[in-house]
Amino acid sequence: MNGAKPVALTIDGRKVVADEGTNILEAAAMAGVDIPHFCYHPGLQVEGSCRMCLVEIEGLPKLELSCSTPVREGQIVRTASDRVRQARRDVLEFLLAEHPLDCPICDKAGECRLQDYYDLHGGFPGRMSEPRRRRAKKVPIGRGLILDRERCILCTRCVRFLRQVTGTGELGVFERGLGTEIGICEEAPVANGYSGNLVDICPVGAITAEDFRFKTRAWFLDRKPSVCPHCSRGCAVVVESVKGYPLSKGERRVYRITAGEAPAVNGFWICDLGRDGRHEIDEGRQTRILKGGEPAAGLFWPQAVAEIASMIRSLPGPDRDGRITVVLNSRLTCEELALAKALFATGLGLDRISFADPRPGPSDDLLLTAERAPNGRGVLEAGFAPRLPLLHELATSKVALIFGTGLAAHFPEEAVAGALAEIPFKVLFEAHAMPYDRLADLVIPVAVPAEKSGTYVNIDGLRQSFGRAVEPGPGIVPEGQILIALARRLGCDPGGSDGR
Amino acid sequence: MVDNGLALLPSDDRAWRLEAYLARGGYDAARKAVTTMTPEAVVCEIRDAVLRGRGGAGFPAGVKWGFVPRGLAGPKYLCVNADEGEPGTFKDRHVLCCAPHQLLEGMVIAAYGVGIGSAYIYVRGEYALIADRLRAAIGEARSAGYLGPDIFGSDFGLEVTVHPGAGAYICGEETALLESLEGRRGQPRVKPPFPATVGLFRSPTVINNVETLASVPQILARGAEWFRGRGLPQDGGTRLFGVSGAVRHPGVYELPVGTSLRTIVEISAGGPPEGRSIKAVVPGGLSAPVLRPEELDVAMDFDALAKAGSMLGSAGIIVVSDETPILDVLLVTARFYAHESCGKCTPCRIGTSWILKVVERLKRLGGGPDDLDLIVRLAGGISGRTLCPLGDGAALPIRALVSKFRGELEQAVTR
Repeated sequence: MNGAKPVALTIDGRKVVADEGTNILEAAAMAGVDIPHFCYHPGLQVEGSCRMCLVEIEGLPKLELSCSTPVREGQIVRTASDRVRQARRDVLEFLLAEHPLDCPICDKAGECRLQDYYDLHGGFPGRMSEPRRRRAKKVPIGRGLILDRERCILCTRCVRFLRQVTGTGELGVFERGLGTEIGICEEAPVANGYSGNLVDICPVGAITAEDFRFKTRAWFLDRKPSVCPHCSRGCAVVVESVKGYPLSKGERRVYRITAGEAPAVNGFWICDLGRDGRHEIDEGRQTRILKGGEPAAGLFWPQAVAEIASMIRSLPGPDRDGRITVVLNSRLTCEELALAKALFATGLGLDRISFADPRPGPSDDLLLTAERAPNGRGVLEAGFAPRLPLLHELATSKVALIFGTGLAAHFPEEAVAGALAEIPFKVLFEAHAMPYDRLADLVIPVAVPAEKSGTYVNIDGLRQSFGRAVEPGPGIVPEGQILIALARRLGCDPGGSDGR
Repeated sequence: MVDNGLALLPSDDRAWRLEAYLARGGYDAARKAVTTMTPEAVVCEIRDAVLRGRGGAGFPAGVKWGFVPRGLAGPKYLCVNADEGEPGTFKDRHVLCCAPHQLLEGMVIAAYGVGIGSAYIYVRGEYALIADRLRAAIGEARSAGYLGPDIFGSDFGLEVTVHPGAGAYICGEETALLESLEGRRGQPRVKPPFPATVGLFRSPTVINNVETLASVPQILARGAEWFRGRGLPQDGGTRLFGVSGAVRHPGVYELPVGTSLRTIVEISAGGPPEGRSIKAVVPGGLSAPVLRPEELDVAMDFDALAKAGSMLGSAGIIVVSDETPILDVLLVTARFYAHESCGKCTPCRIGTSWILKVVERLKRLGGGPDDLDLIVRLAGGISGRTLCPLGDGAALPIRALVSKFRGELEQAVTR
């Protein structure tokens, strides 16, 4: 596929073929042999310091690092011999000798490599009777990250990430021997837009995020993949929510968003903007249908759609255009955009279809794009020629169907409110409550991307399909479902999936 | 004593100067190499001399030079390891004090042989006088045309920079030395790639010990065969043996490789002081496993000492007298490695400190055979499991002290 020469070797008696240049650790993983490791990370340069991944290679006297030794033709590797097991036990014993064993209050418990490996490869009783060195347990290192030096095993993944990936180098290794510790350089704390990855890559509970500390336990979380909707990169993310939602008021549903792996898109990292996307899933949501600005008890979305349909039908066919305005956005999935195209452009023959997205923001050289919506390419692919709505034009509509909250990003609140006030019948399809909601005839709560399945086309033209990562709350539906229902009511069945 | 092949002179105020060095035939070998020999012939001569690395690992210098690829574009570097940090070792200091030009001449020859245009001398931070003297010697050599551009009228040039370290044992490890030279934290790199291909500033690099390079001029002057004849066929030349501890005449002795340890300790250094006897001898710097008095009839060459379960290392001989408790030796040894572990590899970082904690407790409160077993087991967890040789260097002498003096230690800790 990539033109690399295949190399055949034997790992624990299994024949393995790997590309030339692959290290033994990765080759073993491909063959289903998991070699334990702390410092190795496929997205970072090899450090070789934790000494956990040592394996036996026939013909070599010492145990060798599987993370840095490339595969060779005919190599015979043993990852579970007595010597290897003993070396692993020794490393674990050393690490645990200086470890506080505060797993009961550690946020990493349940997803900690030290814990998991002791379970798999350790199992010895504690033999350290000397006093353990006490270290600082709550060092703020910037961006809401907290460093616990007692838990730190000095894998230096954090240091290497900041040097090799972001190039910002805020963390360094200080002192030496047992006094070695991670710290910020020159009182300049971590201050880059990718800081959350430090928590993801920390193999133990040494770096935790204030946002997550002491909030829940790892084993309560349901992890589902999704695609980040906060810029046009389309990074793979994992949405981690508590099972059994809905919970009582005040509790979180999505506890965090972590980086997913997508070699061709984001590798192993996501930016903090995407990570902070957890807030928009749970906070400020529009949860009820509003009618005339008031919660409409007993009104469910299918009835609301029926109302919209009859309002549209009441406008005479030939000059519907100019009387109906539709505002879409680039957060809609390709499937939803196709439905919208079929219904509004083809079916109803509307011309006034515009797009309101978040304003572009600063981009960086790593992942973040200026565009702050995930599916700008999808909009083009669906055959739309996106343009911003004109408020004065909007104000002349008889019916306005406004999807999303992008208007607020482009126009002052009073201007939006002023335009809405002119329109006899206006419907807002919103995931989040807006100040001008009370002016709308109907506000229908819709799903955020994490609550949908569908497809986005990223900035490089890559189509990425994703499934629903969290269940939407009661009464909240994806726009696709609404579009299908509306189309049926209006007698133009667009077919397709509704993104459930 | 054999005649002084390394031309070590008493360190009077003038002997180190260029003038004095030239009077002893200085820079003749470099002139011969640069003006009459091809670079390949120079490397070949050193390889034939079987000059093994004097820093401690004993790797043949000529073979090491041969690993550097020829005909590549881009810079190559020569690094002189003058970070003499191994406890019990002070022979490079002697060379640097008395014969800095001999080192510089060796560097010119090495650089010419490998095709190198710039060199660094990484000198340990504690050697402040030496760093100054080196800079002065470089100035003299440069003014006289032995360094700088167009040496001996050829198109070969060499610039030498002195770089003082900051007091870390680990920076004597070659890849940590490179990291430190590059301005980073001195910690070992993963090998491969080896410095000969990817070294200083990612370029091919030769790293040699001071004594190794200072031995080079005489090989060029008198030939590989002569040099080999002064030592052993598999380990040529003479070596500087630094003897310290319980002897009448501590100092640096230049003797043929293969001289017996007993001869060096008892004849050259005069044996233990009046009324004392020898309890133990560390033959090659603190990292070399200790020998008991009955083991001293061993030839001081890399292979013979390896066979005896120790190592020649830096040839720094430490003699322990009968009045020194082995528990104290164990304590200072454990303390040194715990203090000097760079902290990169888990086993060394935590293992050396754990051992120290146990030994300190034994010293303070006493203990039992279990504690000695624990020390041996912890040393076993370090040895062979680290990136650099410091892990072995810490584990092996500690294990040897406990196993070879178990009786005394058991008695000392039982209270």
